[in-house]
Amino acid sequence: MIDINLLSKKYGEQTVLDIDLLNIPSGQTFGLVGNNGAGKTTLFSLILDLIEPTTGVVKNNEVVVSKDERWKTHTAAFVDEQFLIGYLTPEEYFYFVGGLRNMKKDAIKAALEPYKDFFHGEVLGQKKYIRDLSKGNQKKVGIVGTLLSNTPLVILDEPFANLDPTTQIRLKKLLKEEASATGKTFLISSHDLQHITDVCDRIVVLNKGKIVRDERTSSKTLEELETFFQEQL
Amino acid sequence: MFKKFIYLQWKSFFRAAGVATKLAQKILIGVVWAYFAFVFSGLAFIAFFGIQDDFGLDPLPTVSGFLVYAFVLWVVIRYFIQKMPMVHVQPLLALPFSKKSIVHFGLTKSVISFFNIVNLFFFIPFGFILLKEDYSLWGVISWWVSIGSVILATNFLNVLLNSQDKLLLIAAVVLLGLFGMQYYEIFDITAFSEPVFMAPYHQPLWALVPIMLMLLSYRWSFRHFLKKLYMDSDEMRPKNEVQRATELKWLDGFGRTSFFLKNDIRLIVRNKRARMAVWMGFAFLFYGLIFMMDMYDTPVVKVFVGIFVTGGFLFSFGQFVPSWDSGYYPLMMTQNVPYKEYLKSKWWLVVVGTLVSLPLASFYIFFSWESYFAIIAGGIYNIGVNAHMVLLSGAYTRTPIDLNSMQRAFGDKKSFNIKTVLLGIPKIFLPMFIFYIGVLVHSKLMGFILIGFVGVLGFALRNLVFGWIEKVYQEEKYDTLAAYKQKNT
Repeated sequence: MIDINLLSKKYGEQTVLDIDLLNIPSGQTFGLVGNNGAGKTTLFSLILDLIEPTTGVVKNNEVVVSKDERWKTHTAAFVDEQFLIGYLTPEEYFYFVGGLRNMKKDAIKAALEPYKDFFHGEVLGQKKYIRDLSKGNQKKVGIVGTLLSNTPLVILDEPFANLDPTTQIRLKKLLKEEASATGKTFLISSHDLQHITDVCDRIVVLNKGKIVRDERTSSKTLEELETFFQEQL
Repeated sequence: MFKKFIYLQWKSFFRAAGVATKLAQKILIGVVWAYFAFVFSGLAFIAFFGIQDDFGLDPLPTVSGFLVYAFVLWVVIRYFIQKMPMVHVQPLLALPFSKKSIVHFGLTKSVISFFNIVNLFFFIPFGFILLKEDYSLWGVISWWVSIGSVILATNFLNVLLNSQDKLLLIAAVVLLGLFGMQYYEIFDITAFSEPVFMAPYHQPLWALVPIMLMLLSYRWSFRHFLKKLYMDSDEMRPKNEVQRATELKWLDGFGRTSFFLKNDIRLIVRNKRARMAVWMGFAFLFYGLIFMMDMYDTPVVKVFVGIFVTGGFLFSFGQFVPSWDSGYYPLMMTQNVPYKEYLKSKWWLVVVGTLVSLPLASFYIFFSWESYFAIIAGGIYNIGVNAHMVLLSGAYTRTPIDLNSMQRAFGDKKSFNIKTVLLGIPKIFLPMFIFYIGVLVHSKLMGFILIGFVGVLGFALRNLVFGWIEKVYQEEKYDTLAAYKQKNT
């Protein structure tokens, strides 16, 4: 799905990301961990063509993202609040992003149905604009916005942050179900090692812009990751 | 403590996106200042000698009489145009600054504004003329101080007024009412305001009254903001508006463009800042009235007026494409969004805005048919050429607009600023030039037809031009995204 080759991003003298090779096959649930400044958001921004690579390319479904915009048809992403439109109600927002992916209004309504639990009655039908929702509820809107339209590739930057404990558990369940039922490819970053090892079947650790660990999740992974970050002290 | 605030202002200016363009703007703004200095001091001479020689009246009492209009008008204009000085108070609230000093700083900073200083350009030369013509020194000084105090009082009231749309309406009605009554000779307010504003001249002690007034208005807005300096007050954050149900089904006929059109209409309806663009457009309809006086009544000026009367919304809204969407630009850039659809939606908005202004401006027929021809020609030119031009210059305007924080106490409240006007200049001189060619070749009518023709030509080429603008937007994409990341600059 994603093929990265000799990708680097420099700001002046400082290299913030430097990846020789990274392939993410279709259907994988890919987890990205690393401390602040490790380059997680930079990597996602490069995959989404929001920043220009200094060297190298990102290919999404065989298409170079900085050259060709066709990747947008099968990719949905939620990185931060800049992916929300504050003056819309959640419903209007879903109709907007769904509509752009050629979904009819009724289809969007139906697609929202399974997420009722996840919203916990605090998002839909509230007669509130997104800007007036709490941070956690805004996040729910953003996440569902990416799942709704059934794009084969979903990118979520720190989806667990700002969510209450119950919703975090719900989100984990939701992501696992989506991944196994639909065969979607997920790219997820998180600071929560427990959650990310629960959800993802592959974990990549970034440190100072470089990939330092890359492995399939096993029963030992969580422990190993904890040890790894312990050593960073 | 003030030093720390000034330090913050300084940093926010120099670390803002596009400092280089900002410096260029500063220079241009300098030119604009020089222009206003020239115009206002010229006005001082005209006010004095015109009134004295042409009307045979004593200039000082006459000017004093009409000052009441100037002041009410100032209040109205300030409401629309004056930006409150930017101090982003939210992060300061939890720091060891006293609330009082935060408010003091905000208010003090509002004194150093264009709208206060520009008055000096009139009153200082006017005062010197008075002195030279042997008016009493103490009288003139006391008159100066009084006028200055009243101007500052309106400045502080304006800070208050900004949060209340109703007060604006009252001021506008009072202004029009007074003017109407004077015009039809029912009631002459100047007969009352003249002795009021002349009193400090005759007896300097009277100057204490406006000084008190100024201090009171300062105290009033000071207290108002001190009370409102909480995160959840209306001045600090947007209200939880009750949602207006807007399905906007009638737009579905536009196909994919309708998604954007719906958003844009909601943008305008639900954000005060975007609504202001519509009000500016409406206000500009009447812009031509200023020029209907004889001394400006030349055809070239009419072309100028025609562009502005029909293009108010086009300029005030179009200048900030795509900045209106700065808050969620990354979303737009990752969605399945062809730039063309996105741009087309904005294009439709400004075109519809221009079209609507044409029948609304038909009252200019009462002045002359020629005026209305100029307006129609200007309208066509706006649709055909300027609609593209604003979208193009928008690609380079990288001021993020934070729709969510527009109601902050001392925040950047108004979307309309001098910069908007500056960027409009090249879009205005070209049609005047075209008109001039038409006049040289044949006649005034030919000039109007030529402007219209260029407009139609631009309209016919719109697909080509859109392709070109699209490319510029794409080239600018990364820079624009980076600039929009810096909020509140």
